[in-house]
Amino acid sequence: MSEKMYAYKCTVCGELHHPKHYVCRKCGARTFEEIELGGEVTLLTYTRVYNLPEGYMKPYIAFGIVKFENGLTVSGQIESENLEIGMKLKTNVGVIKEGIGKDYYGFVFKPL
Amino acid sequence: MRQVGIVGVGHTKFGKWSGGTFTDMLSLAAVQALDDAGVKTGEGHGIDQVFVASMGSGIINRQSGIASALVDTLNLRPAMAETIENGPASGASAIKLGYMAIASGMCDSVLIVGGEMMRVVSGWEGTDFVATMLHPEAEYNYGLTLPAFAGMFTKLCMEKYGITEKDLSVVSVKNHEHAVHNPVAHIHVVPNLYAISEDEDAHVINPYVAEPLRMYHVCPVSDGAAAVLLCAMDKADRFKKKPVKIAGIGQATDTHAVAEREVPTDLLAVRLAAQRAYKMAGLTPKDMDVAELHDAFQILEVVESEEVGFFERGQGHIAARNGETKVGGKMPINTSGGLKAKGHPLGATGVSQVVEIVKQLRGEATGRQVEGAKAGLAVNFGGFGNNVVATILTKEAE
Amino acid sequence: MIVDKMEQSLRPVETPLPEYPTKYITLATGEKMVIRQITRDEVPHILEAVKPLMTVEKDFYDIVASRMYSELLGYYRYRVKDEYCLIGTIDGVIVGIVNGRTVDDKVGMSYHTMTLKQGLRIGAQLFAAKMEYHLDYLNQEEVWIVAESPNGFKRWMIEYELESRPEIWHELGGVPTYVLTKALWEKHKASKCTGRRPVKEELLKTSENPILPETYAQIPGYKRCAK
Repeated sequence: MSEKMYAYKCTVCGELHHPKHYVCRKCGARTFEEIELGGEVTLLTYTRVYNLPEGYMKPYIAFGIVKFENGLTVSGQIESENLEIGMKLKTNVGVIKEGIGKDYYGFVFKPL
Repeated sequence: MRQVGIVGVGHTKFGKWSGGTFTDMLSLAAVQALDDAGVKTGEGHGIDQVFVASMGSGIINRQSGIASALVDTLNLRPAMAETIENGPASGASAIKLGYMAIASGMCDSVLIVGGEMMRVVSGWEGTDFVATMLHPEAEYNYGLTLPAFAGMFTKLCMEKYGITEKDLSVVSVKNHEHAVHNPVAHIHVVPNLYAISEDEDAHVINPYVAEPLRMYHVCPVSDGAAAVLLCAMDKADRFKKKPVKIAGIGQATDTHAVAEREVPTDLLAVRLAAQRAYKMAGLTPKDMDVAELHDAFQILEVVESEEVGFFERGQGHIAARNGETKVGGKMPINTSGGLKAKGHPLGATGVSQVVEIVKQLRGEATGRQVEGAKAGLAVNFGGFGNNVVATILTKEAE
Repeated sequence: MIVDKMEQSLRPVETPLPEYPTKYITLATGEKMVIRQITRDEVPHILEAVKPLMTVEKDFYDIVASRMYSELLGYYRYRVKDEYCLIGTIDGVIVGIVNGRTVDDKVGMSYHTMTLKQGLRIGAQLFAAKMEYHLDYLNQEEVWIVAESPNGFKRWMIEYELESRPEIWHELGGVPTYVLTKALWEKHKASKCTGRRPVKEELLKTSENPILPETYAQIPGYKRCAK
């Protein structure tokens, strides 16, 4: 079963949000509909983190902030040896953290 | 509104606390502040309210209601007491609330103690604890940490303004050199600029923590406590020293998820908080003689120095290169050693920054004194810039 | 001592091994740390640097120092096969010690890494020097490693991405082994191992007679008494 990620669209003014907000940041309304979030993204910035918190057993993880075609900007893990600002990546949803009893899913962007 | 001033300061040596319990550490800073003010810890102490600033007392040290515990151990009952939590900006927030308590007329005298005891847990448990201030689903669950965001922010600033890794090392060494003259600083060892930036061995002995930030661009993990005693300016005669006035306080919030910030190379909350503080104090950036800018990551000192109006955007690192931000320079920043060398016990930092400004304005900053300092700014940065408090202190005319 | 037939039969057969080529590293403070191999007869002196840490519980110093003490003693008394010991000195003062031995021409067995002067990543540098010795100078294929402390585990198992080989039981207590293979070393050594050779005469001289540290940050209040 593949997990999906969603953007939250204000039902009054159409503003997209990710992550979820309680109140629309543009018009103040409070109802949203879910829109699947995916497709090609542009890498805005990145880092490789070597000092990871408790529970991560890798020497480093690459993270980045990307921009979707619909304008939303989100942060996520990146699985790519080569990292360059402006490069294109594809959206992929994967395990971002192994938990006890359940795993956490989120954006793991990969090369096209 | 009533005028509020600071009449006493206290500060433990930041580093590894081995002098007893968490409350003992807070108490040490507290009584130093009381002694500094000439207040006896017994009958007639006159303290109406105690605020304790701490982010981790519950999570790391498994103690809640620590302000109430402190009031009792210091024999200040039945003074009012609350613990204030605003992440790394807890200290400045506690001072803001103390100001409000006095300005409103509800209190005459408020004791603020900020403290954190982080070294009782391992390095990566500490990193994890600090990461709890991030957005739970969009950030924390990914393994993102404060250094991760600082790394990404640094990368963007380097691309846009031409800041180099060496510039960050210059700022770091400057802060370490200041700390040599600060007896309460965590680190008194000064790294060698060439050794950490250009030497053949530099890339290994100064490794990446969160690219492009390196080990010597990131503050240490510290235990420590700092305290200030606030009083109504019109009731300051009973204290030993003339009060240093809290002339202005400003605060602003920004988006929680860092990816949602409007301009990714800006620290908007810093700019707004500083503007509000200047407005309240009736002062401008040019009036500041000294500043303590929250430098958990050296890139923050550079960008904050621009957002508070000391330098044009993109010029902060140039000013640092030219020596303008050291003691004796045009705009001394982090004369205490900053978070980098003085240390960063999260809850204590905001209070510690104010303690340094008070010492500068009183002429008590031996070895690192900014001559004739009359006004100072402290910026305390919460989360990754989603909650910032700026405080302006001024020396009253003789 | 008299090396008679009895003593001869108690000693392991020694393989002649090339000496570790001394190098120096410029640490963050600008100080230069010289890393060199010690000779067997320097062991009693080095043991005096190890001894005070044998009862320090914090950060697992007690078990590391106590085991290292017995390993070095074993080396000195000819009861361990093909053991070596490298020390790091700054201005002649011993700041860190590492040791290990070779199992055969292909496999190395890492023993311990102990930092005396904390705060400058000295342990990390000495561990890398040890690996450099096994894989670049002794031309071995892999080194077997275990860790006693979480810090050690993080610095080696995670940072070097060591291969887990639980079927091999390391000499140090039979705990499951992690392995640094030549391939992993080639991948990580650029970011982990540094230093310059040859070491100039003047600098080399400072390390000739290693000085025992007067104080240890790990032992508040300790001061070495003159013998």
